[in-house]
Amino acid sequence: MLQKKVCMLGSFAVGKTSLVRQFVESIYSDVYQTTVGVKIDKKNVNVGEKETTLVLWDIYGEDDYQKMRWTYLRGASGYLLVADGTRKATLEKAVSLEERVRKEVGAIPFVLVINKSDLIRDWELDPALESQLAAQGWSILHASAKTGEGVEESFSLLTRKMLG
Amino acid sequence: MGSAPRHSRDPLEFRPKMAETSPTRPVPEPDDPPLEPDAQAYLELRQLILAPEQEALERLHQRVDDPASRTEDVGSVVAEAIQLRRKQGGDEALSVALAPTIETALRESVRKDPGTLADALFPVMGPAIRRSILETLRSFLESFNQVLDQSLSVKGMKWRLEALRTGRSFTEVALLHSLVFRVEQVFLIHKKTGLPIGHAVASAVAMQDPSLVSGMLSAIQDFVRDSFHTSPGQGINRMNLGDLDVWVEEGPYAILACVIRGIAPRDLRDRMAEALENVHREYSARLDQFDGDTAPFTRVHEELSRCLEHRYKDDSKHKSFGFVYATAAVVFLLVAGWLGWRAVQYARWERLVSTLREQPGFVVTSFGREGGRFVVRGMRDALAADPAQLINSSDVNPADGEFHWGGYYSLDDGIVEQRAKAILSPPSTAVLTVNSGVLHVSGAASANWVKELQSKALLVPGVHSVELSPELNPGRLAFNQAKTEIESAVVKFPVASAALSPSESLALRKLAEKIQSLLQAADSLHQSASLEILGHTDSTGAEAVNLNLSQRRADRVSWELGQLGVPERSLRARGVGTTNPLRTEDNEENRQFNRSATFRVSAPVP
Repeated sequence: MLQKKVCMLGSFAVGKTSLVRQFVESIYSDVYQTTVGVKIDKKNVNVGEKETTLVLWDIYGEDDYQKMRWTYLRGASGYLLVADGTRKATLEKAVSLEERVRKEVGAIPFVLVINKSDLIRDWELDPALESQLAAQGWSILHASAKTGEGVEESFSLLTRKMLG
Repeated sequence: MGSAPRHSRDPLEFRPKMAETSPTRPVPEPDDPPLEPDAQAYLELRQLILAPEQEALERLHQRVDDPASRTEDVGSVVAEAIQLRRKQGGDEALSVALAPTIETALRESVRKDPGTLADALFPVMGPAIRRSILETLRSFLESFNQVLDQSLSVKGMKWRLEALRTGRSFTEVALLHSLVFRVEQVFLIHKKTGLPIGHAVASAVAMQDPSLVSGMLSAIQDFVRDSFHTSPGQGINRMNLGDLDVWVEEGPYAILACVIRGIAPRDLRDRMAEALENVHREYSARLDQFDGDTAPFTRVHEELSRCLEHRYKDDSKHKSFGFVYATAAVVFLLVAGWLGWRAVQYARWERLVSTLREQPGFVVTSFGREGGRFVVRGMRDALAADPAQLINSSDVNPADGEFHWGGYYSLDDGIVEQRAKAILSPPSTAVLTVNSGVLHVSGAASANWVKELQSKALLVPGVHSVELSPELNPGRLAFNQAKTEIESAVVKFPVASAALSPSESLALRKLAEKIQSLLQAADSLHQSASLEILGHTDSTGAEAVNLNLSQRRADRVSWELGQLGVPERSLRARGVGTTNPLRTEDNEENRQFNRSATFRVSAPVP
């Protein structure tokens, strides 16, 4: 069995938890996130013939009340960086998070998932920044927790990147 | 081998320079001074002939001179060289030579990072230390277990006593001793990633996804470590939720977590540590490089399964409980029976004691058990009923008790009556009764006895006064006695004479005293008494003569009595002739009795 520890990072309320809710196996309630600071879910992903189990550490997004516990990133094989398309600041936060991760645990595979693609008309993201990031080699996907669009793809892409 | 002098005159001195351009073919520089043609030819010839050797020599020089290639050469043979050296038996010298270097290296390694060496030694040190501690403990435990086993039959009872002594519930004590537990799940979790490397689960246990549980467990470990800033290597080693325990053992790369229901024995920890060490020993490198692939960890499951221990109460313990219950029941019945028997015995003795209390002449001052025996203390009048008889007629076993009687005079009327009878020895005609200390005497008794009674009765304990019935009045008795004596007296006369013989006169003198005392007695009784003197004759002779004779005989006695001081007014003489004979005259003796005078006392009935 191949398993990978995968973290989910992003600002508070960008929809990390909702993004994966209908796609993962879970036994813990969301309360864990606000108390212990992390909630653990599981997602099986098939890449080619191989099945990989992603153990998702849904880490509480940093806000005014709670700091992110960077310890939870230890040993992660990759991460999903989640931003909210309707809030520009969340992408900026994602950029700073990526920098921080690189500093804390090194350059590990990640995918930037920009949530709320169903509300694309309300997006306030700077397309320039997006393409700049893409140019830097970032894998960027648009997804919607509401419609489920792009979610499976995000996991697949990350898995492929992790398996190299 | 030093480097060749650079400015030698030897043509070969070009070598270093040539080496800079071409390692094989030295070509003169254009600005070098031109050589002479012979010399040129010689050089070319020499080159033609010696070139291959020269090149080989050149390469050799280079290898020998260059430290890098020298290292390379030695490196490729050093292992074989050491092996060869060992085969040659130079082991010791080699060890001696290497020892300081290795020591320095180890010291340096520890100085730089103690963790590296600690991690490397972890699988070795743990067992070594534990084994030595275990050996010490085992010998102690073995003897302890032996003691426990030997007392197996009374174990349950002991636990009960212990529960009583310590104030803990019996269940708690029994559980502490029997250690009922089950390891339900075992997780081997990679420390860094929190991913499960292995998982073992006991049969029929509802389990959650090991990946999720492992992740959360390590997240919680991180959370606690983060929150309380503990040093690395320190973390939760036990979590407890009711009867569910999670024990955690931590190794350098992985942690082992056991989910236990019940109370596990401490040595499970040792088993956990052992399993963890075995895994580390076997997969040390793989654990360090773990990338989420559990395939290589083939033996982990076997190792984890060994921790799936369980222990239930075995049957022998149930038996011992059964034995205890049976024993308790028997003991209870015995105690209840004994208590019941004691109560019955006590009741019987109590009945006896109350009988004794009611008995005249007994005073029970105390009654109770002393040293398992019934003891009755009190006082008994010598005249009271025989206690032995009372006891024998009761339903107690005399052997179960003892009696201590002190002597005393009972004031009980019955006893006092007995006592009075014993002391006063009344004639059978007398009747003695005691009522509230008053001795009543009635019936017939002699005046003497009554006199004695009057002087002695008050000395009888319990008698404080005497009451005589009227017939026993001393005056009356004296009167009656005198009357009887007087009336039984016969004054005999010779045939046809009214003269008294001297002996009859003497008898009459005594009679006169009696008459005097009779009259006195009558006086004391305030009564008047008189004496009738009857004159008799035998039947011979004429009636008229006889009547006269009898009158004379009566008169004669009356006169004599008067002479002896008996007042005449109390006397009346009457001749009755033959009308009132004393005896039937069938012989002379009887006839003589009829020639007499007799007396009749007349007194009003009192």
